Amino acid sequence: MNELTLTEDEKDVLQELMNIAYGSATAVVADMLEAFASLSIPNIKIMTVSELLKTFQELKSSSYFFSSQAFSGEFNGESAFFINEESANNLAKHLELENRADLDDAILELTNVLTSSLTTKLAQEMETEVSFSLPNILKIPLEEMEGVETFQLYSQVIVIDTNLNFQDQKINGKIFILTKDESILWLKTKLNTILDQLL
Amino acid sequence: MAQNKTQYDFRSTLIDKKIIAAINNGVIVLDSDLTIHHYNKWLEIHTHMKEEAVLGKRLTEIFPQIKEKTLLRKIKTALRMHTPTYYTATVSHYLIPIKINQIENSHFTYMQQDVSIIPFDEENELVALILTDQTNMANTNALLAAHVEKIKELNEQLLKEKELTEIQHKQLLANSRSAAMGEMISMIAHQWRQPLSLISTLLANIKIKKELHTLDEKSMNNSFEKIDETVKYLSETINDFRDYFKPNKVKSEVQLQELFGKSIFFLKDEMTQYNIAYKPDIEDDLTLYTYKNELLQSIINIIKNSIDAFKSNDITSDKKITVQAKGYKQHLCVMIEDNAGGIDEKIIGKIFEPYFSTKNKNGTGLGLYMCKVIITEHLHGTISIESEGNGTKVAINLPYSL
Repeated sequence: MNELTLTEDEKDVLQELMNIAYGSATAVVADMLEAFASLSIPNIKIMTVSELLKTFQELKSSSYFFSSQAFSGEFNGESAFFINEESANNLAKHLELENRADLDDAILELTNVLTSSLTTKLAQEMETEVSFSLPNILKIPLEEMEGVETFQLYSQVIVIDTNLNFQDQKINGKIFILTKDESILWLKTKLNTILDQLL
Repeated sequence: MAQNKTQYDFRSTLIDKKIIAAINNGVIVLDSDLTIHHYNKWLEIHTHMKEEAVLGKRLTEIFPQIKEKTLLRKIKTALRMHTPTYYTATVSHYLIPIKINQIENSHFTYMQQDVSIIPFDEENELVALILTDQTNMANTNALLAAHVEKIKELNEQLLKEKELTEIQHKQLLANSRSAAMGEMISMIAHQWRQPLSLISTLLANIKIKKELHTLDEKSMNNSFEKIDETVKYLSETINDFRDYFKPNKVKSEVQLQELFGKSIFFLKDEMTQYNIAYKPDIEDDLTLYTYKNELLQSIINIIKNSIDAFKSNDITSDKKITVQAKGYKQHLCVMIEDNAGGIDEKIIGKIFEPYFSTKNKNGTGLGLYMCKVIITEHLHGTISIESEGNGTKVAINLPYSL
């Protein structure tokens, strides 16, 4: 087995940590959106970049906003948020936004909230700290996603499929946490320490 | 010991303040109600406002352009999450309106800013807003985007032009076809002039003899036979020309000797008229598998050019056109040579360009261009021309089979 791939046990632990982190992010998002929003139980998957690119292929049909934010520290990589146009419009309606720039800003904020609270929490669980760069918004046609070179830097991707539910509006987004190879080794060590403690 | 610690704290506080005053960023400390608790030197300079004047006031009171709801949300989120929230220059452009001194070609009137909202005192709900000037970056991005747009535009234009060129090229082919047809008609006229005058002479003879009552059956039959022969010849000429103009796009086996025989047949009357000697030297049994009529059109064109050169250059003696054809292992070579005055070395490089002509009124400038297109693109061969002194040499290399 490739030393950069996570074993089933390691994946289990990571998934559990993600669940905890996600729980804390939920409350913050609800605050930000100033409404009663519930986040669905996330569907968390860990996959390779090539599998991720395949996922993009399946999403081809509709238009997406894609925003990303790099984080650094012992655990480093890039987190990305994917939201389709319909959900983005629902978000704009909910926040009573006036124009496209405000919507972009709101998406960046949502990205920042979701990914930094998730990543911070995850880092805390693993007893380390992370620092964030400014988020970035892109509107890349999905078919060109494969050409995005930065993806080549990563091997493992944590994918979190989430739904924000409002009274009558649904906002669906996908969160990706991309980790660089160098931090995968660190991650594996950490996960194994936690695993040992559990046994 | 305690005193030392206090002193140390005091010094570090001074250093912190000095650094904040000296750094090349705007720093504002706000509470969750947007009241200003600190306003650094950089901001004082850029906004022309002293810290004393703004302390205790709400940021939105000083800058009413700021969307309060958004800023409040971002501050609240930062405090709640314990991690920074942001405004980015690419999306939000700026938070604090700061007019910039016009940089040449600048796209912006106001300084473009990245703003990080950092929660640093959660108990007192204080955040620090760090402003970074991103105008240069934003300018570069805007320039880049404009260039990308321009490149896209140019690309589209290029594609359109390419399409147009293709259409023009087709038009050109059609033009050259009609030009060739025009020449062909003048060749038919040449070809027919002599036999038609023969028929007319024979008929006049018969008429005179009849009027003089000297018309005997033998001479009449003789004349009729000659007329019949000549009419047949005229008819054959027409058939040959028609064959040549059939749009035959089928490859076939071509005998080079026969092909030159045919091209000379079309041109021989004109050559005789101008006393041009034709000297063929074609190897026996040279055959190739190609588009016959296209090759024929090219060869006629080249020989016709030689004839026209003799006419316009007023060469009077020893006029000759030599044709040599030799077979090699991979290809065969046809060499057409004349001594009709040669070509000026200044223009020889342009000779295969479309619409280039040395013939003042009758030339379309398409003849040799079409020869080049046909030989290189359709027949997969090469054509070159060289001139030395009085002579011009055209060399054509052709593959045995397409």
